[in-house]
Amino acid sequence: MDISSLKNTAQETEDGKEETTQYIVVGLGNENYGINIRYVDNIVRMQRITRVPKMPNYLIGIINLRGEVLPVVSLRLKMGLEADVYEKSTRIIILKTENEGKMGVIVDNVREVVTLGSSQVDKVDYDIKSEGKNFVTSVGKRENGELVSILDLNFITLEENTQ
Amino acid sequence: MDVSQYLDIFLDETKEHLQSLSDQIMQLESDSEDMNTINEIFRAAHSLKGMAGTMGYKRMQNLTHDMENVFSEVRNGNLKVQPAMIDVLFACLDALDEYTQNIQNTADEGTNDNEPLIKRLNDLLQGGNDSAPAEQKKETKAEAPASSDSGSGAEKWNDIHLDDAQIHVIQEARKQGMECFGINVVVQDSCLLKAARAFLVFKAIEEKGEIIVSNPSAQDVEDERFDKDFTLLVVSTSSLDDLIKAAQNVSEIAAVTGAVIDLEKTKDYKPKEEAPAAGPGPASAAAPAASAAAKNTADKKPAENKQVVKRTVRVDIEKLDVLMNLVSELIIAKNSLVSATGQVQAGAGVGEHIEYLERVTTSLHESVMKVRMVPIESVVNKFPRMIRDLSKKLDKKMELYMTGEGTELDRTVVDEIGDPLMHLLRNSADHGLESAEVRAQRGKPPVGSIFLDAYQDGNNVVIEVRDDGNGIDTEAVKAKALERGVITPDQAAVMTDKEIIDLLFLPSFSTAKQVTDVSGRGVGLDVVKSKIESLSGEVEVKSQLGVGSTWTIRLPLTLAIIQSLMVNVGGEKYAISLGSIQSLESIAPSEVKLVQNKEVIYLRGAVLPLIRMDQVLDVKSIRGPEEEITVVIVKKGDKMAGLVIDELLGQLEIVIKPLGKYIKQCKFISGATILGDGEVALILDTNALI
Repeated sequence: MDISSLKNTAQETEDGKEETTQYIVVGLGNENYGINIRYVDNIVRMQRITRVPKMPNYLIGIINLRGEVLPVVSLRLKMGLEADVYEKSTRIIILKTENEGKMGVIVDNVREVVTLGSSQVDKVDYDIKSEGKNFVTSVGKRENGELVSILDLNFITLEENTQ
Repeated sequence: MDVSQYLDIFLDETKEHLQSLSDQIMQLESDSEDMNTINEIFRAAHSLKGMAGTMGYKRMQNLTHDMENVFSEVRNGNLKVQPAMIDVLFACLDALDEYTQNIQNTADEGTNDNEPLIKRLNDLLQGGNDSAPAEQKKETKAEAPASSDSGSGAEKWNDIHLDDAQIHVIQEARKQGMECFGINVVVQDSCLLKAARAFLVFKAIEEKGEIIVSNPSAQDVEDERFDKDFTLLVVSTSSLDDLIKAAQNVSEIAAVTGAVIDLEKTKDYKPKEEAPAAGPGPASAAAPAASAAAKNTADKKPAENKQVVKRTVRVDIEKLDVLMNLVSELIIAKNSLVSATGQVQAGAGVGEHIEYLERVTTSLHESVMKVRMVPIESVVNKFPRMIRDLSKKLDKKMELYMTGEGTELDRTVVDEIGDPLMHLLRNSADHGLESAEVRAQRGKPPVGSIFLDAYQDGNNVVIEVRDDGNGIDTEAVKAKALERGVITPDQAAVMTDKEIIDLLFLPSFSTAKQVTDVSGRGVGLDVVKSKIESLSGEVEVKSQLGVGSTWTIRLPLTLAIIQSLMVNVGGEKYAISLGSIQSLESIAPSEVKLVQNKEVIYLRGAVLPLIRMDQVLDVKSIRGPEEEITVVIVKKGDKMAGLVIDELLGQLEIVIKPLGKYIKQCKFISGATILGDGEVALILDTNALI
C-alpha cells in the first residue's frame, strides 16, 4: 500500500475541515472501487474456499477465518463480470455487515486507502439502473483526477432473486 | 439486612416450593384424606412464608400465612377439603407465581395485595371453624402431632447422655430460674443444605438461650453427618413455645418438637455432688464424642446412609458456554495436531501422547456436555396443573400421564422446549379429545387420556405427545386448505393423508371451528415446528381418525460437538453425524435395482432407496460407473436410505459451526466444521435427505 499517498490525502483535507471518510480502493478488472473502511474488518489472502452446493453462482463458498466460518462472495460474478482468476494479488476483504454478520468478498487486488471529503463525493444521479445492476452509491473524485466508484454494500449483501 | 445476594436462592427455592405445592394440591384433589400430602403442603406453605418474610416480601408473606392457616385447619381435621377450596388454593398459587415473577423481574413483589383471595381464604376458615382468632395458637400446637407422622422419636432428648459438667450447668441454670428444654428438630427430606438449615436453627435458638448438648454433636451437624433430625438440650428463660417457634421460622424444617426436661428421666443422671465446672456448651470436647457414640448405639437408624444428598453448585449458564467454547477450540487444536503429526514422520512416542490427549479431550467434552444436561422435569412439571385447568375450562374430563421426566437434554434445549410442548398438549386437550357425549357414543372411557412420554433414542431425545381423542380429520383439513386457497382442488385430489396433515404446520392454519382462548388463535403449529427446527429437531404427526394422534418431537442430544463420519464426494469432504448412520455397505453396481424408475437396493430383507450424493451435491463422482459403490445407510426414525458416496475418510469428532444467516437456502447442509488442517467441511443433514 502506498503510504505517501495516504499522508497526502490526509493533509489536503485538513484545510477544508469538512467531514472525511476513508475508503479502501480495490481493483476489479479495469475499474477501481472504494469500500468504506468502516465496514472492513480485515483483508486476507486468497485461501481455500469450500464450495456450498445449491447456492447462487456468486456465492463461492465458505472459509475459515480464525475458527469462524464465513461466506465468500465473488464481486465479479455479483456484478455480472467474468469469473475470478485467482492470482497472487487476489484478496478476500472481510466485511462486517449489520444484518448478516461477517462475510468475505473476492477482489482482484487491493490498491490503497484514500480519504475523501464529502465535497469530493457525488451521489450517482444518472440512471445506472438502465445497465441492469445498481451497485454503486456514489463516485469519488480524487485530486489526481481519478474516479473511484463507491460500492453499495447493500448490493453485496442483498440476495438476488433474479438468479 | 441486605438480602439482595440471597435473591437468586430465594427465587429458586420459591419456585421449587410452588411446584411442590402445585403437585401436592393436585394430589389432594384426587385424595382429599391423605394426611402425608396435607402435611407436605403445610410444610411447603410454611417455608414459603418464612422465606418471604425473611426477604421482606410482606404481601407474599400475608398470602402464604393465610394459606397456611387453611392447611393448618385441614390438618387438624377442623376443615374438610372441598373442590372450592382447591380452586382457591390454585388461585393463590397463581398469585404467588405472579409475585415471584415480579420479584424476578424487578426485585420487588409488586403492589397487588390480592385482598379478594385472602378474603376467600378467610371465608374458608370461617366456614369450617368459627373460632378463627384461636388459630394462631393452634398453628403452633399443630406441630406436635406432625412429629409422630414424620416418624421421629418424640422423646429423643431422653436418649442424650449427659456428662457431669453438663448436668452441673443445667442445675446451675435452674437455680437461676431458667428451664431446660429438649428440642427435636426434623429437617425436610428434600432439603439440600441440611447443615445450613441446622446452623440457622442453632443460631435462632442461641438467641433465646444456651445450647448445652446437641445430638449429633455440633461438629457432626455442621459437616452434615446427621440423618433427618437432631436433638438439642437448651437452657433458656424463654418459654418452650418461643424456642420452637424460633426453630420453625427457619425454612425447610419439617417439624420441631420439644418438652421440658426432667433431669431424673434422662438415662445418665446420677445424683451427684457439685462437680468442677467445665466450659459449658456444645464445644466441650467430651460431649461430641459421647453423644456421637450414643447416637450410634441408641439409634436404630444406621449412620452410614447420610451422604446421599449430592453436593451441588449453581453455575451461570454463560460460564458454561464459555467453557464449552473453549472445549470446542481444544478439540480443533487437537485435530490439527493429529493431522500435523500425520504429515511429518513423527518420532516414537508422539502418537502415544496424542492418543492420550485425544482421550482426555473426549472425556472433557463429555463431562462438559453432561454439566449442561438437565432433566426435562423442570419443564414438564407444570403440565399436570395446566391439564387440570384446561379440563375445567373446556369441561372435558382428561388425565395426563407422563413418563421419562428424568430424560436429560441440553439446558438451552430444555429452556426452549416448554412452549412447543405446552402448545401440543393444549392442542390435544382442545382439538384432540372429544366431548363426553361423543366419547360415550364411541365406546371410549369417559375420561380422556393424554400421554407425554420422553425417552432417549440413540443420539436423539424423543418426546411424544399422544391422546386417545378424535385424531386429525384429514377431510376437514383439506376443506379448510381449499377454502383458504392454500391448495388447489387438483392438488387436493392427489394428496396423501400425510401431506394433508403436514398442511397443519403452515402458518395461520387452525381447524378449530371457533377461536377459544385455549387454542385456535392461528399462531399454532407453525410456531411449534419452527421452534423445534431452530433447535435442530423435527416434529412428526401420526393420526388415525377416531382413535387419536401422536405428535413426535425428535431433538438432538447435543448441539455443539458430534462424532461424525468423514466422506469424500467428488473430491469434496463432507461430515455425516455418526448418530444417524446405521451401517456402511459396499455394493456391486449390478445389485442396484430400479423400482418406479428410482434406484433401490435390497439389503437384509429391506428395500432401501438410494441417494446419489454426487447428484445431490452437484459434483462429478470420481468413481467409474462399473466400480463397486460405497453406501452409507442412514436412518431417520424408522425410515432408512442409502447414500452413495465416493470414499470413506474415517471417523472424526467435529465442532459444529453455524453457516451464518447469509447461507440459508440449503436444506440438507446443517452446518460446517473446521478440520485439523484449517479446511472447512460441510455437515450433511441426512434427515433432510430422506
